[in-house]
Amino acid sequence: MTTLGAPLLVVKDLRTYFYSNRGVLKAVDGVSLTVDENEVFCIIGETGCGKSVTALSVMRLIPYPGKILNGSILFRGVDLLKLSEGEMQRIRGKEIAMIFQNPMKSLNPVFNIGYQISEPPIIHFGLPSNEAWKQSIDLIEKVKIPDPQLRAKNYPHTLSGGMKQRSMIAMMISCEPKLLIADEPTTALDVTVQAQIMHLLLDIKKQHGMSIMLITHNFGLVAETGDKVAVMYCGKIVESGTVKDVFQEPIHPYTQGLLKCIPVGFEHKKEIDYIPGTLPNPLNPPLGCRFHPRCKQATKKCVTEEPQLIEIGNGHMVACHINGG
Amino acid sequence: MNVEGKKEVESENSSRLIGVKNFFLLLIHYRTSFAGLIIVVGITIIAIFAPFIAPKHYAEIDVSNRLQPPSLSHLFGTDALGRDVFSRVVYGAQIALWVGMIVVLIEAAIGIPLGIIAGYYNGKIDKIISALSDLVWSFPPVVLALGVVTVLGAGITQVVIAIALTSWCAFTRVTRAKVQSLVNREFILAARAIGESDFSIMFRYLLPNVASSNLVLATLTLPAAILSTTALSFLGFGVQPPTPDWGAILSEGANQLVIAPWIATFPGIFIVITALSFNLLGDGLRDLLDPKLKI
Repeated sequence: MTTLGAPLLVVKDLRTYFYSNRGVLKAVDGVSLTVDENEVFCIIGETGCGKSVTALSVMRLIPYPGKILNGSILFRGVDLLKLSEGEMQRIRGKEIAMIFQNPMKSLNPVFNIGYQISEPPIIHFGLPSNEAWKQSIDLIEKVKIPDPQLRAKNYPHTLSGGMKQRSMIAMMISCEPKLLIADEPTTALDVTVQAQIMHLLLDIKKQHGMSIMLITHNFGLVAETGDKVAVMYCGKIVESGTVKDVFQEPIHPYTQGLLKCIPVGFEHKKEIDYIPGTLPNPLNPPLGCRFHPRCKQATKKCVTEEPQLIEIGNGHMVACHINGG
Repeated sequence: MNVEGKKEVESENSSRLIGVKNFFLLLIHYRTSFAGLIIVVGITIIAIFAPFIAPKHYAEIDVSNRLQPPSLSHLFGTDALGRDVFSRVVYGAQIALWVGMIVVLIEAAIGIPLGIIAGYYNGKIDKIISALSDLVWSFPPVVLALGVVTVLGAGITQVVIAIALTSWCAFTRVTRAKVQSLVNREFILAARAIGESDFSIMFRYLLPNVASSNLVLATLTLPAAILSTTALSFLGFGVQPPTPDWGAILSEGANQLVIAPWIATFPGIFIVITALSFNLLGDGLRDLLDPKLKI
């Protein structure tokens, strides 16, 4: 269907706004990104910077009162924003699937997990339910839950958090999607389980040849698993590139600040570094560069003029007047 | 996180979604509800086997034995036409349960889908359905039923229709509220993320999740429906003689309350017991049908 090497997902100038009583909240304001086949693309940023909304926009699952205003989302050459809801339903789960942050809440409490895992193949491929059940037991085995026969009949509340997230992964890969969006898949789990889940995801990625869009605020996770990374701040991408480039030579003051905040083991500092100030009010973001009120290097130009994302070499993009230009 | 994790492990070992067998075993621990269940089952058996339990046919007139007090040959005495009150009360159970069940089924069939649709879609559809249910809710059922009966003529079918058409809004409200709390939960988002259609989400994901609340509501609505029909029969608009509705027997007995108090007393006791037992059962079901119940 697509030519070899063509990107899997191209998002261009995506704008998703929420119309609340207090004004327009520009959750995603002009985001562009490209996800290639077979890669792990990470989006990193603070809470409320628009990471999850970007992911939900790709799935076209923006909750009321949100709206995608502008932009295009090309998935294998098809603009998802131009599809009807019915056509979109055939893509969700089959071509693009999504795992959510909280596995405790993302499974239906009244059905056993085997039934839930067998659901996507029934919807998308019309598989008879007994075959789908067999397939779901295979999937449960694949995500390394012990005793698949027995566990398939368990209800979500009887499983541990890790098992629930594994079930969720099994459910989402059951139709072998080309793109798996993982919205903070490990945030609600404890550290040892986090590592297991990430290994599982990468294993599955290798087996199925799919791409993962990983949304996280964990730099360690990005460094370990990511191929490319985009740093988001207040609805915009401020820096993007390969994980190596961005982590070794961060250009944007925000990225530099974030990386400095990570405590390094055995380094006896009195205080952990932090970025001064707080996230701006998303209803009324600052003019110019949105980071300027917290940026030590800010100049007059940063206050008045909005920096554009420009390439500084080897796909490394940055939006900053000072370091980028 | 740790506490949460610990809880998960515990529940993994000790609890499953309860099966039908466990359900009854558990109900025993809710003593009042279990008593309610036994009475409900008892009344149902009386209704089903009425022809075998009642010593006489409900319409059999025996003028020589009129207004007899309770005795071994007439357990609940006889009325002004010499009919056996016990037989009439036993047959009356059939009517009470039938009417109650049919009214509740019609109410649920109208109310639950409307509630799911209202809760699932925001905005206009919700406003229209909510306004409609508020409007209907504001009519006293018995008064509206009187209106319907005046237009369509007296009779049990008209009474059932009238009561059902005025009381479905309780189901709509309960369902809507429950759906609104569920619709933003992540598992509904996850269902959409695997490509489920709106219809499928509403009736395959949300309906089972609202079933338990509605089952409880049904056990509370059923006695209300029985009370409404008996009230209408008491007023002479419901079933027509000689059909032995409890309300009708009560109404006939009210005329002879001083000389033959047994005629009105026994159907009255049955009305109270039936309504009470369903309510008690409903209370226990509310606790039991929580899927997160710890055994």
